[in-house]
Order: sequence, then structure tokens, then C-alpha cells
Amino acid sequence: MTTEHGVFACSECGLTTEHDLRYAGRLLESTRCSHCGHVVELQQRVLLPAYLHDLEQRLVSKPGRLLRRAARDGLPFLRELPAAIVRQPFKIAREIWTVVKRS
Amino acid sequence: MLLAAGSGSRAGHDTNKVLLPLAGLRVLTWSLRWSAPVAAITRRVLVVAESEESTARRVLAREMPALDVEVIVGGPTRHASELQALRALAPHVERGELDVIVIHDAARPLAGTSLFADVIRTARRAGGAIPVRPQPGLIPIDADSPTDAGQRLVAVQTPQAFRAKPLLAAYEQADRDAFVGTDTASCIEQYTDIEVRCVEGPARNIKITFPEDLFLAEHLLAQAHWDLTSREAMSP
Repeated sequence: MTTEHGVFACSECGLTTEHDLRYAGRLLESTRCSHCGHVVELQQRVLLPAYLHDLEQRLVSKPGRLLRRAARDGLPFLRELPAAIVRQPFKIAREIWTVVKRS
Repeated sequence: MLLAAGSGSRAGHDTNKVLLPLAGLRVLTWSLRWSAPVAAITRRVLVVAESEESTARRVLAREMPALDVEVIVGGPTRHASELQALRALAPHVERGELDVIVIHDAARPLAGTSLFADVIRTARRAGGAIPVRPQPGLIPIDADSPTDAGQRLVAVQTPQAFRAKPLLAAYEQADRDAFVGTDTASCIEQYTDIEVRCVEGPARNIKITFPEDLFLAEHLLAQAHWDLTSREAMSP
């Protein structure tokens, strides 16, 4: 899970305030208004299929993205690639576990 | 012209919503992505807040490295940001390199290539083009007269396109008069007589305002398999 902060209008308190946004992989999982605490989140039955659909697209587009990064960043990218390849399955497993265990 | 200056950072660590992730890219990147295949678009200007300039440059380098985008710092209002961007484009307009300028709100990441192409085509023909969406569930309320159920209300979207020379002249005159328009069309209406036509705005072209809108945008992108390009929009 990664967390970002952004300014939005809150549909509950009506104020434009900072919100905490939690992402599962690249999928938005929940948001919380810092003023009134109003939480908006994907239901579990929606989150898992949405996450898997998104993961499929990430995996399909990965080779193209890797090639583009290799062309852009060259040697520094290639040096980091083996470690990134090793880390990737653990990263995805952690994401899936986070999504599955949420209730 | 992609407007991304927003209200900027206030608490110090909060992020302008157009710089937040949406389905793997930042919100503002999606608009550039849909504009990229439109052959009629030859220059791109991204208008950002001063405090977010370096972040925006990093986002562009990472997410749209092949696209040539000029980043400029906007002003305190939307109108001031538009003026800054128009002044940056003025030499190209004066040399006749730009005939139409398209203005788009970066908080609308789902415009799609067709809409960019539609507004450009219409603005070339008529002078100006704005995408609108009928709002059949709304009726105008005027305290002095009975409501007219036959009247149609529309929601106005972006991208909006206008002939470049009258647009530039209108904004320079507005600056001299200290006129601040609510949107581009209001300044055009005040200072020019060019015809502004409506084109149909897609229902999915939502503006990210509430956090719920980010969920909806993510869902709509997934439904479209993360691709809102169309072949016919790519020809000049």
C-alpha cells in the first residue's frame, strides 16, 4: 500500500481539504478527508477483481515500459534491472496479500 | 494548453490533484497522452504553479519522454495562467505557425483523442468550439419568471478551441481592462465576435473534483482498456 495526499472537495463536510489516498499497486483503494474523517473505499468484492484486471494490464504492458525506460535511461537502468526483477514478484505478492486480507 | 496550476500546495505536503496517480500515470499525463496522436496539435504548453514546476518536469520526463512539452509557470487565477501561456505562444501565433489554440483543464483526464480533434476541426471552421453535455435533469430557476421546462441546460467541458489571433488579442485587451473571465469562452464572448459552436462532450469527460471522481475515472479507464484514442482523430 502506498499513501499520497491531495486536495479535494469533500462530499461529506463540503470543505476543500487535504485527503489521504491509499493505493493498492496502482489502484486507488480508499480516500479519507483530513477534516471530517469521511472515508470512501472500494468494497472488497469490487477491489479484488479490479486489482486483478489492473494487474493483468500492468503485466502485459511491462515489456514495453521496460524497453522505453531502457532507451531513456540506458546503462543506469540496466544496472538496476536484475535487482528490480528479483524484487518484483515479492512486491506483487505483497500487494495481492494486502488486497486479499482487507475486510 | 494544458492548465494544471490548480490551487497549489497549502499545508506543505499535499499534492495538486492533477499530480496524483491515476491508473499508473499522473492525472495530467492522461490528457497529454490523448493529445499526442492528434496530428493537428503541433505545440504543447503545460501551465503549472511555481512550487510544482520541478515535479511536473519530472513527471513529463518519466511518463511522456518522447513528447515535446513546454512547461511554464502560471498565475494566481485560471485567467492569469491562460494569459501567461498565450504570451508564451504569441510569437508562434504572430508568425502564423498556430491557427487554433486548444485549452484544456488537466483535471479532466478522460477527454480522449476524438474530442481534441473535434474541437480543433470546429474552431477552424467557425472560430471557436466548446464541448457541452446536456443536463436533462436540471431546469433554470429565475425568481422573476416562471421556469421554462422547454429550456435546455448544458454542462460545459474542456478542451475548448479558438482561433489563435482573436484569442490572443482578447486576452491582451482583457489584461488592459483588468477583466477576469471565469473561463476562456467568457473572455472570447466579451472581447470578440467570433462564433463559438458547441460540440458533443462525452459523458466520461468528468472533472476530478471529489475523491469519488478518481475512483470513477479509474473505473472508466479500465472499462476502455486504458485506451481512449481513435484512428480518425489522428489525421490532420
